[in-house]
Amino acid sequence: MVQIVISSARAGGLAEWVLMELQGEIEARYSTGLAGNLLGDLHYTTEGIPVLIVGHHILYGKIIHLEKPFAVLVKHTPGDRDCDELRRETGTQYLVTALIKNKILFKIRPKPIITNVPKKV
Amino acid sequence: MKRTREEVDATLLIAKLNAAELLPAVHCLSFGPGASGAAAGDFSLLELEPTLCQQLEDGHSLVIRGDKDEQAVLCSKDKTYDLKIADTSNMLLFIPGCKTPDQLKKEEAHCNIIHTEIFGFSNNYWELRRCRPKLKKLKKLLMENPYEGPDSQKEKDSNCSKYTTEDLLDQIQASEEEIMTQLQVLNACEIGGYWRILEFDYEMKLLNHVTQLVDSESWSFRKVPLNTCLQELGPLEPEEMIEHCLKCYGKKYVDEGEVYFELDADKICRATAHMLLQNAVKFNLAEFQEVWQQSVPEGMITSLDQLKGLALVDRHSRPEIIFLLKVDDLPEDNQGRFNSLFSLREKWTEEDIAPYIQDLCGEKQTIGALLTKYSRSSMQNGVKVYNSRRPIS
Repeated sequence: MVQIVISSARAGGLAEWVLMELQGEIEARYSTGLAGNLLGDLHYTTEGIPVLIVGHHILYGKIIHLEKPFAVLVKHTPGDRDCDELRRETGTQYLVTALIKNKILFKIRPKPIITNVPKKV
Repeated sequence: MKRTREEVDATLLIAKLNAAELLPAVHCLSFGPGASGAAAGDFSLLELEPTLCQQLEDGHSLVIRGDKDEQAVLCSKDKTYDLKIADTSNMLLFIPGCKTPDQLKKEEAHCNIIHTEIFGFSNNYWELRRCRPKLKKLKKLLMENPYEGPDSQKEKDSNCSKYTTEDLLDQIQASEEEIMTQLQVLNACEIGGYWRILEFDYEMKLLNHVTQLVDSESWSFRKVPLNTCLQELGPLEPEEMIEHCLKCYGKKYVDEGEVYFELDADKICRATAHMLLQNAVKFNLAEFQEVWQQSVPEGMITSLDQLKGLALVDRHSRPEIIFLLKVDDLPEDNQGRFNSLFSLREKWTEEDIAPYIQDLCGEKQTIGALLTKYSRSSMQNGVKVYNSRRPIS
C-alpha cells in the first residue's frame, strides 16, 4: 500500500489565493500556449461586482465565499533523497501551497465590445 | 510587457465602462511563465470541509492511503474520506495575490495596478466524502499471529508476522485514531512494541484466572484490587497480561490511593457466551441460557441483549436454538453484507438484523435507510420482515 503525505507548507499562515471560474475554455491566440500571456483586466465595481475584460469581451460575475474551501496541492517527487524525521525515504508528497476561500464566478454570457459604432445617418 | 495605467484606462474607454463606478485598483491578469494545466499532474485542487481546512492551517498533515487496486482514501488524524476526482465543465484558474473587493476596500484607495500571475488552471478537483474506515484488514493482519502467551513456541520464532503502529498505518486505509480505537475494541495488546491480538483461549484463560480469584476472595466484582491480582496471579501469567485483561474487561479507578477495577458485567457475560457457543454449531436455547447464567461470576446477570452482533436466536425452530454469528466475520461492504445475511436466513425482523448492519451506517445513514436500499419488506404474522431484493443462490 502507498502512503502519500499532504503536508502544510508552513504552519503559521498559508497563502490565500482566489479561484476564478469561467465557462468554456481559454485558448491562446498563438500556438505557443498560455504561459506568459496576458489574460485580461479584472475590475470590481464599487458594489463589489467583478468585471473581467478579456480580449473583445466583458464578463460580469460574482464573488462567492466558498462553503468548502480548496487547498492547492503541489506535487513533490523525491529526486533528492528526502527523508522524514524517522529517516525513511519518503515517496511522492504533496505540499499545501495555498488555500482558496473565495471564488470569482463568471457564468453570464460575455458581452462583446463593439469598437466601431456606426453613426446614424 | 506589463500593462500600464494608460492602457488599462484606454481599454475601459473602449469597453464603455465608467471608471467612477469601479474601484480604483485593477488586477492585470496574465499567465505565469510556468502556468500549466492540472492535467500535467504537478498540482491539484482539493476540496475541504471547514474542519479539515482548519487542520491544515494549524500545520497538520493529511495522508492518502491505498493500494494500486484499491479506491484511495484520505485520512486526517481521526477521520477517513473517500477520494474521488470531480470533473467540471468550467475552467478553474488559481490566482495568487488576487484580492477581493472587501480586501481592497479595507486598504488605502490607490489608483494602482496589481500585476497578477495565474499559477495554473484545471477542470477538475479532488472531492472528499466521509466514509467508514476499512478496518476489517486490521483484524486479519493481527490474526496472522495471535498471542498465545510468553511460553508459546511461536514467540521464539522471529519470522512470525508482527506489526507496529507504523506498520499498521502503512497497511490499513484508516486514520490513526480510528485504528487505535479498533485495537481497543479487539482487546489488542502492545507487546514488545508490536500490536498483538490475543488468541481466544488464552484471553479466556486470563479472564478465568481473574474471575476465579474474585470468587475465591469473595470480592465484589466492582472492586477488584490490582495489586492483589498481580501478586496472586503473577506466578501463573505475566503481570502485563493480567493488567491488560483487567483493562479490557473492567474500568480502572483509584480509591484511597489503591488501584481497583470495576469489572464490566456485560463484557464478561458476552465473553462467557462466546466461549460456550464456539464449540458447537448450535445450542438448545433454554439449555444454553441455564449453563450461561451458571458460568458467569456471582452477581452478574446474563441477558440475550448482551449478545447482539455475536449470536443469533432462531425462534422458529423447535426447540428454539442459538448459534454464534459474529458481525466481524461478515463482509465489510454493504451489498456483500446483506447478501451473506440473506443467505443465512431468508427473512429478518429489524430487531434481529439491526446489530448486523449497525456498523454500516455512515454519518447520516440510518438502519431504516439501509434496509430500504438493500432489502424488500413484507408482513409475516403481523410482523414486518425484510428479505433480499434479488434471488440469492
